[in-house]
Amino acid sequence: MQGEEERILEEEREARELRRRMADWGFIESQPPRVREALKYYIEKGDIRMASRLAGMGIEEFRELLRKARIPVVV
Amino acid sequence: MSREIFAIADTCFLIDWSRYRRRDTLFRVFRVVFVPENVLAEVRSESTIAWISRGLAEDRLSLYTPTRDELEEARMLVEESRLQPRIPSIDLPEALCLVVGRRRGYVVLTENRGALLAPLMLSEYRGVRVWRALEIILEAARIGALDVDCGDPESIFREYSSDTLHIFPRRALESAVEELGRICRERRRGS
Repeated sequence: MQGEEERILEEEREARELRRRMADWGFIESQPPRVREALKYYIEKGDIRMASRLAGMGIEEFRELLRKARIPVVV
Repeated sequence: MSREIFAIADTCFLIDWSRYRRRDTLFRVFRVVFVPENVLAEVRSESTIAWISRGLAEDRLSLYTPTRDELEEARMLVEESRLQPRIPSIDLPEALCLVVGRRRGYVVLTENRGALLAPLMLSEYRGVRVWRALEIILEAARIGALDVDCGDPESIFREYSSDTLHIFPRRALESAVEELGRICRERRRGS
């Protein structure tokens, strides 16, 4: 289980790093505050449902926004 | 060629998978994919709704109405996930899929990391099979529902990533590509 947890944590780190690196930060910073913060939250946590609620959007609408911001879903 | 019978899909899975150029491959892997009512309510875009409507009309997708008992267990699972900081959050739609997976043996289709990790972290859900797009594509290749380019096995996953902007974790992808290589070698030996 220790090895399994290590692997999971490594995947979390990898996913966060990819989201940070691939994101279009110019696009993110140009968004209204609520949407901007939701995108930043998603980059850090990868939790699309919570991020979409923060943005005040439906989950599918937020997924489309992630594509526009070039933020990948890493799962 | 063998086929799984039932799966149950959550929102995150459906909205990505419906953009995939080979999305109907799903119905060659599973006889019926259930869509819970609360998941259907979260789908809004015309293209996703159109694909789901067609699947429902062709009896390849089916609406899943949870029982009160299943919803109660799903709520307890959400609470349990909140108490375990090691697990990314699981919300009610994914929790319900896990409960149905546990009780009825359906394969759970999700892109939610919390749901993916539940069988590893929560002993009651240990036997539940949780698949991402990665596992579905691999299974489709294994049963011959998707053609594999044996000269470049990874291309089958690149295609999905390119359609959806969905990236698979490096180690999981390496292991899936290795498995495809093994399938290719077996087929060469068999032909």
